[in-house]
Amino acid sequence: MEQGHIEADSAFGFDGNWQDFAKIALPNLLLTIVTLGIYRFWATTRERKYLWSHSRFVDERLEWTGTGKELFIGFALVLGLFVLPVFLLNLVAQSLIARGYEVAGAILGILPLLLLFYLTGLARFRALRYRLSRTRWRGIRGGSNDPGFKYGLSYMWKTFVGYLPAGLLIPWSMTSLWNERMGKMSFGPHHFESSADSGNVFGRFLLFYLSPFVFFIGAIVAGATGAFAGYGLGGESGAAMGGVAMIVALVLFFYIGLGLIAVAFYAKFYREVVGSTSWGDLRFNFEASTMDWVKLLIGDALLVVLTLGIGFIFLSYRHWKFFMTHMEAGGEILLDDLTQSTTATAKHGEGLLDAFDIGAI
Amino acid sequence: MHDEAFQLAAQWYDGQNAVRHEGEAVWDGGDSLRLAAPTSRMEVPLSDLAWGEERGGQKVYQRTSEPDFRLILPAELPAGLAARLPAKATYGAWVDNLGLGKATAIFAAVSVAAVALFMTAPDWLGPRVPVSWERKLGDAMIGDFGGRLCSTPAGDAAMAKLLDSVDPAKEQVRAGVANIGMVNAVAVPGGRVLLFDGLVQQAETPEELAGVLGHEVGHVRERHVMTALLRQFGLSILLSGANSGVGDTIFGLASMGYSRDAEREADEFSRARMAESDISPLGAAEFFERLGGDEEESEGSNITGWIASHPGPGERARAYRAAAKGKSFKPVLTDKEFQAIKSMCREDPDVEEFEFF
Ligand SMILES: [Zn+2]
Repeated sequence: MEQGHIEADSAFGFDGNWQDFAKIALPNLLLTIVTLGIYRFWATTRERKYLWSHSRFVDERLEWTGTGKELFIGFALVLGLFVLPVFLLNLVAQSLIARGYEVAGAILGILPLLLLFYLTGLARFRALRYRLSRTRWRGIRGGSNDPGFKYGLSYMWKTFVGYLPAGLLIPWSMTSLWNERMGKMSFGPHHFESSADSGNVFGRFLLFYLSPFVFFIGAIVAGATGAFAGYGLGGESGAAMGGVAMIVALVLFFYIGLGLIAVAFYAKFYREVVGSTSWGDLRFNFEASTMDWVKLLIGDALLVVLTLGIGFIFLSYRHWKFFMTHMEAGGEILLDDLTQSTTATAKHGEGLLDAFDIGAI
Repeated sequence: MHDEAFQLAAQWYDGQNAVRHEGEAVWDGGDSLRLAAPTSRMEVPLSDLAWGEERGGQKVYQRTSEPDFRLILPAELPAGLAARLPAKATYGAWVDNLGLGKATAIFAAVSVAAVALFMTAPDWLGPRVPVSWERKLGDAMIGDFGGRLCSTPAGDAAMAKLLDSVDPAKEQVRAGVANIGMVNAVAVPGGRVLLFDGLVQQAETPEELAGVLGHEVGHVRERHVMTALLRQFGLSILLSGANSGVGDTIFGLASMGYSRDAEREADEFSRARMAESDISPLGAAEFFERLGGDEEESEGSNITGWIASHPGPGERARAYRAAAKGKSFKPVLTDKEFQAIKSMCREDPDVEEFEFF
């Protein structure tokens, strides 16, 4: 009987390098441009194949089995079944307004927005399900038997309720949606389970509410010192100049400050939700600190800016590497127990919404 | 054992569970591989194998009959066996068959052709759409304009007379005055031309109205409206309806870009019809001059809409003036008829107000 005991810091590994990735990403970029973006689906697939095959879980590499064709078909389906109808709905709404039925037209104009809201939740669910179902590890895969339609509704009402009391329930809606989504997923014979507690991230979330006061005090202090410093330089015009400089500094301070709070919150959020997720007897951990995230994002920005934009093709590589190197798992798995997943998979593109394949984790 | 027999280290997963089988693959030159490990033993036909990927310096193959089966072989295979195994795929079948350079060139050529076709489609497709279709489409989009068309018996008669002078065709466009205060006139889908009441109030002579009306009729007759509609349609498909908000309604659509050439064509149409009906083009010239023909700055007045969608009023005024040289004209409407058009919206009891959101 084969049994793996997993050391906390060795369950996940990544051994790709950016030079090899560039050999995939640069031709991808070229082919995507000359095909007016249509190659994008095959490009995504090739990138994933590289990233997955250089990622290790316990003692075996991952494998991506998704295809460009199924992503393309999924995209075409979404276009035909949702985007075009929404477009036509807009035309009808406009003609209603032109005929003088303003209220009916406005209602019809809001309908696509509601639909989009629902589809966003559905797409998050389907993207995760798609990724799990196309991931092979030791010849087995993951997935879900739930099509996610109910999750789409949950997403709508929980997000809505989250914003109601001055946004105070947003941490609850985020963790509860994570729990709901992960709970529906499985890999091999085992379900994922998640019991993230919004109480653990609530403190960080309150920073958002604290920020106006901090900025207000900062503004007074900065304005006063700036004006004084300017006054010292050159009388009244100097004071004005100092004031302008301070306003610029304050706007920067505001954006950077708000950005930092958001990063701090998300860092904590991911530690909480991943740390509360388990698979069989394995528990997961995500050990990226706020500082790690800040470094990642500053690196992203520098990479894109310094390469005049070309660097964006490496972002998926950087993010995946970040994810794999900070993922950890502990506990025991009984390899003999791991049987193939029995979840349903569609042959083509797994239903409609894989085209919305937006960040699943 | 056959001369050509090879033994290779191999690993495989049967696709039913996560147990890794480690043993060897034996090939005797035949049509199948024999896999043997303490935990598993099987015969795999070579024709059933499909290329998977290169992973960790090894080659991974799949089985067509068992999608999750994985066979992992060393990168260096005996030449005889390698020739029998499915070839490596890199970019996807099409690109792999052509080579990256050739495929790039072909894709680029096809893309350029597709873009050219898409960009020019409105120009050659627009005039070929049957007029009856355009009329049905326009009716579906606009209907009766929400009851905002002004109508009085005297005003309608005067409008009909004005239209006769610039649209002599048997099946005329439908012209009306819309109860909208902006200084503007539009040709909307469906062979319909609208003068806004704001423009009617600004007009000092019926000849001015005739010039503007003739211009808009020109847009309809030259099929500019259908062309613009198709272009707008194509654009919003490209933008996937990203910003087709409720606010920018039909008005944005109709006044939205005709090309400079189209404007010139519409002007020429207008002047030709006026010449046929002995109507003075000087009214139109004066109208354009008043709109800003002699001054570039229009000081944020409410006539910017007309200027924005119809460029170069100075140049146009000169063209209308030139058309008047050495000719004599007769009045297009009597003063009474002109006043009937001017008072149409005021005197129509059931016309709807126009309001923006
Ligand atoms: Zn025009």
